[in-house]
Amino acid sequence: MAERIGVYVCKCGPNIGDKIDVDAIVNEVKGIEDVAVAKSHNLLCSGDGLKFLKEEIKNEKLSRVVIAACTPKQYEVKFMKACEEAGLNPYLMQMTNIREQCAWVTPDKSAATEKAKSFVIASINRVSLQESIEKKKIDIQPNVLVVGGGVAGLEACLSLAQKSRKVYLVEKSPCIGGLTARFEEVYPTMECAPCMIAPELQEVLQKENIETFTYSEIEEVVGSFGNFTVKVKKKARYVSEEACIGCDACLEPCPVEVSNEYDEGLSTRKAIYLPFAGGLPNVPVIDKDNCKRFKGEECSICKENCAFDAINFDDEDKTIEKNVGAIILATGATLFDPKELPQYGYGKYDNVLTAMQLERLNASNGPTGGKIQLKNGKEPKSIAFIYCVGREEKGYCSGICCMYSLTLAHLVKEKLPEVKMHNFYTDLCLPKKEHQKIYKEAMEKGIEFIRSEEDVTVTDGGEKIIVGTNGKKVSVDMVVLAPAVEPNADTEKIAEILDIPRDDQGFFAEEHTLMKPFATALEGVFVVGSCQGPKDIGDAVAQGGAAAGRILSRLIPGEKLELEAKVSEINEDLCSGCNICIILCPYSAISRDAEKKIAVVDETLCRGCGTCVSACPTGAARAKHFTKEQIFAEIKGVVR
Amino acid sequence: MNEPTIVSFLCNWCSYEGADKAGGARLNYPANIRIVRVMCSGRVDPEFVIQALKEGASGVLILGCHPGDCHYKKGNYKALRRAHLLKKTLKQLGIEEERVRLDWVAAGEGERFAKVANEMAETMKNLGPLELS
Repeated sequence: MAERIGVYVCKCGPNIGDKIDVDAIVNEVKGIEDVAVAKSHNLLCSGDGLKFLKEEIKNEKLSRVVIAACTPKQYEVKFMKACEEAGLNPYLMQMTNIREQCAWVTPDKSAATEKAKSFVIASINRVSLQESIEKKKIDIQPNVLVVGGGVAGLEACLSLAQKSRKVYLVEKSPCIGGLTARFEEVYPTMECAPCMIAPELQEVLQKENIETFTYSEIEEVVGSFGNFTVKVKKKARYVSEEACIGCDACLEPCPVEVSNEYDEGLSTRKAIYLPFAGGLPNVPVIDKDNCKRFKGEECSICKENCAFDAINFDDEDKTIEKNVGAIILATGATLFDPKELPQYGYGKYDNVLTAMQLERLNASNGPTGGKIQLKNGKEPKSIAFIYCVGREEKGYCSGICCMYSLTLAHLVKEKLPEVKMHNFYTDLCLPKKEHQKIYKEAMEKGIEFIRSEEDVTVTDGGEKIIVGTNGKKVSVDMVVLAPAVEPNADTEKIAEILDIPRDDQGFFAEEHTLMKPFATALEGVFVVGSCQGPKDIGDAVAQGGAAAGRILSRLIPGEKLELEAKVSEINEDLCSGCNICIILCPYSAISRDAEKKIAVVDETLCRGCGTCVSACPTGAARAKHFTKEQIFAEIKGVVR
Repeated sequence: MNEPTIVSFLCNWCSYEGADKAGGARLNYPANIRIVRVMCSGRVDPEFVIQALKEGASGVLILGCHPGDCHYKKGNYKALRRAHLLKKTLKQLGIEEERVRLDWVAAGEGERFAKVANEMAETMKNLGPLELS
């Protein structure tokens, strides 16, 4: 059946009408083969215009439409919708821009008319080769995996958990709450952090739609947006989460004592332990590497002391498989190890601490019950804070160290009003609306700030420690280092499991720093909180909520996911299996079918850039709506 | 005054919008700049360029997002690599390399678009029409 193409040239009032001889175009294209009708209209985008267009499509039984008007950026969607409403597949419509790219830039009317004519003819050529495209819709899994139970992950969990949607929270440590649970008071509100997050922790653990896997890690992820299958390794805890009531009777009798990593090595713990008092879920874990029994010795003291038969030495690692539509990584960050910089004396002098160690000393659930003391148990009379430890080495400002140091200075001053404090900083980073005030209050309290223009040195002063810079020296009892924030050690492994890129600093790379700061190159995988870059609590929570919002708007229980229409496709018969497209695809949307030895496009991941198509040596790859034939036809039209 | 055509492949996200901005600002450039929209400069197959020249264009402009700004991350770098190779090939065929210009125009850069378009038109005017034997 012959095609019936309708060509409609919009005058856009005087915008096109006065600059281009619209009638001349209409008259010329009328004679072109397959053009059934060519007309002008004063304003096609108006209500009347759209009504006219729809009637034309129906009455003239049009099979294709060309609209010559303004930029498609303005009303292409509107015209596509009008076509659809008139029963014409919207991809059988081609718009050409004779306003912004012709009428408005070409003062000479006859030159503008010639140019517009070439655009219209190019569009007629092109539209003849266009194909109707049905947007693919796929079944999706509305459930979501959240990796990491810190504040960002918690916020994501709570935003996502709703009717008809399950959230699986996977946390590598035995407790949820992340770093925040280990802080005493946090800036800028100076409020008790455990109290602040306790309601969230309890809600996450009690909410029916959230299933929490602590002491667990992701092992494998396959699939794509809407349909991922995830394998989670749940490490043997040797204490039943169902039977244990959290009475702690098993802890004290354990004969093993090892350094407690959750107190930054400032205390010891048993082989059966809870990371810190009040950690949730309140179920201890047996540290297999240090437990006597697992070293081959006879010991079952913990079991004997358990009144609820919760200890199970035969517990084993389990692999659990879950189907989810999206994944949020909220795996957090860690602090730079100051041992890498010997000039600060960390590890050499007893009373040189990291800020995190001071956090734990100050914490009421910490090793000293909140008493700030020197190694010998005495209260410090003077403390020096050194900021920016590792900034040069890492190559970035972490943006939160000034504030956590200032916070600690305030908290220490509250407990030890007589203590003298000296802050050695290079640049103060106090970006938020509350931060300056906290800094000013510190100065008002007599806390000294010393700008170091050269390296800060920490040297032995007998019973004291000497901290110096710019020729100035102070003698103090305690030195607190503020190390940079750096990626967690497992960031690389997780990036490999998911096949997502990391940035130059080793954090998970966001898709776009400004516009998509929580998305990744892999559709359906989000990165929130400090695993994407150093962040304070508020920013981490905001990101967790933002990613959850994105997921809520795309993965709707019971509804299908609509995919991008203009995607690439690969012709099986033409594909030589050279893999060039696989390497080039920026979204890992193309993979190799090992059996057929060809490349296949995953339409859920393809975003239609077409770079695979221009690189394909055999012509097997084809960009829907931007095929070679369509573009060649357009070229033929514009070159007249 | 029928100047030979310059076929201009503009990426959908930056350069096409840049050209729209030039229109919005009513900046003038010669009417022989003829625009073909592609989703990404990385979609511009060297074949498109050859085809345009075969059809009678005197020159080809390929405009994409500035390096680092590509909507599809690195499509513009791929375009750059292809353009280098293509220019070498064209040179061997006796076609001046100035007839193909790859450049970057951001969505807000109406003035830059008009400048590049005018420069290209001027270059083509000086070179004259392409004679393919």
